[in-house]
Amino acid sequence: MTLLERDPNAPVFWKGNMPVTSRYTFGLAGERFFRAIKDEGRILGTRCPECDITYVPATLFCERCMAELTEWVDAGEIGEVHTYTLLFEDMDGNRLPEPEIVAFVRLGDGGLVHRLGEVELDELYIGMNVEPVFKPAAERTGSILDILYFRPVD
Amino acid sequence: MSERVAIVGVGWAGFRPSTPYQSYKELMYEAAVRAYADAGVDPRRDIETFVTVSEDFHEGTSIFDEYTPDQLGGALKPVHTIGGDGLHGLATGYMLVRTGRFSLVTVEAHSKASNILTLPYITAYAQDPVLNRPLRLNPEYIAGLEMHRYLYETDTTPEQCAAVVVKNKRNALLNPLASFAADLTLDEVLNGPPVAWPLGRHEVAPLADGAVVMVLASEEKARLLTDKPVWIRGIGWCNGPASLESRDWADAPHIREAARLAYRQAGIRDPFQEIDFAEVDDTYAFKELQHLEALGICLPGEAGLLTEQGATEPDGEFPVNVSGGSLGVGHLLDGTGLARALEVVLQLRGEAGPRQLEDVEVGLVQSWRGVPTTSGVVAVLSN
Ligand SMILES: [Zn+2]
Repeated sequence: MTLLERDPNAPVFWKGNMPVTSRYTFGLAGERFFRAIKDEGRILGTRCPECDITYVPATLFCERCMAELTEWVDAGEIGEVHTYTLLFEDMDGNRLPEPEIVAFVRLGDGGLVHRLGEVELDELYIGMNVEPVFKPAAERTGSILDILYFRPVD
Repeated sequence: MSERVAIVGVGWAGFRPSTPYQSYKELMYEAAVRAYADAGVDPRRDIETFVTVSEDFHEGTSIFDEYTPDQLGGALKPVHTIGGDGLHGLATGYMLVRTGRFSLVTVEAHSKASNILTLPYITAYAQDPVLNRPLRLNPEYIAGLEMHRYLYETDTTPEQCAAVVVKNKRNALLNPLASFAADLTLDEVLNGPPVAWPLGRHEVAPLADGAVVMVLASEEKARLLTDKPVWIRGIGWCNGPASLESRDWADAPHIREAARLAYRQAGIRDPFQEIDFAEVDDTYAFKELQHLEALGICLPGEAGLLTEQGATEPDGEFPVNVSGGSLGVGHLLDGTGLARALEVVLQLRGEAGPRQLEDVEVGLVQSWRGVPTTSGVVAVLSN
């Protein structure tokens, strides 16, 4: 505000930041989930037979009935676009040169938030079948970024 | 012992896009002094316990207890600092009175949004650290994903969402506390820049600074202090499945459940018939519609039609966000729910000036803590 800049009594401010550095351990189920992505290029879930729900990503427990889950399943290679958005701003609020296509891809009774790629906007629709595109096995580290994006299944 | 709890004093400060001359402590102080004058109490002598709602990272601090009691008059008194929305603070204050141990309680929430330089990064830290955060996406994408699925499942249209923006910003023209009042057309809203399509920039509530303080009292104390008590007849809160992987992308079941709890306590069976008006969360325009449906004001898919038909206008059958909502007033971060409640109190007291609704006895207020949360509070207030 120019008025403030001209005012010799304008309030000053003190800039600060918080030096937060931390570890995160994803847990027993999370480790196995990422290891399967890294080593096998597979997305795993866990099943609660009581509630008839398949959790993807795999979890150690059922959030509905609190049972411990021991039945591991392959969530398969094809998911469904449950919803998607075109994101026009980056983390700093700056306009992106091209919008990013971000989707929630339904896998089992859960799914993953990720980018979509190799897709034309006018061909995209809710309910479209998509598959993950993995990085080459040698480059995978056991991370959600081992999946580059999801793309339409022909 | 009476089970009734009343709001007997309200105060506010700020409600501007930025407040460079005031610290957040001074905003809190100013709002508190007004609330105590309004209630006719001396905080140091009369108020027995204090509740402040805040999110440490919004303040750029840690352990907010170290920053809170003095400017409210709360030093050497019992103090709770809780995380949540302002209405979570109202619920906490309500419970403190209901314990029977306290007859006068202060509740405070505020925003100094203009001091936050990296809000999307802070919000990103509320997502799963290894499943979501590595994608490095501006968290508004979550609102875009929710809106698209909401439109898809309910057949609500972008025009109906834009109608919420037009209504709320126009309502705000009559509210001196509103920073973002405007007289827009549907086309102007729809043709604005996109943020996370189908969500547009005009459909996102802009941020503002401000503080709200309320004084809560037991019935016995309320009768001594005021002839205009506003009663908290029911209050409920609920958290949905929080993770992005297991949430419902179209619906707001956490609001549905919070409303059920509040209505049961207040004895409300048909909210549309028994409640006169509402202040609901409109952080994003579609949220006002989704929240009205979750509140049982209408069926899923009907809120957009009601809005188009004018039923939620100030002169409609069920006025919603007469204040201008967060879209018109400005979003006060953790203070937003209390700002909505402030309007309900003013309306029920007949002190809303040129935007005063006629013959209102029961008001509804609902809050949501924003993306990525599924945290919400619902309260029924009456005069
Ligand atoms: Zn189960």
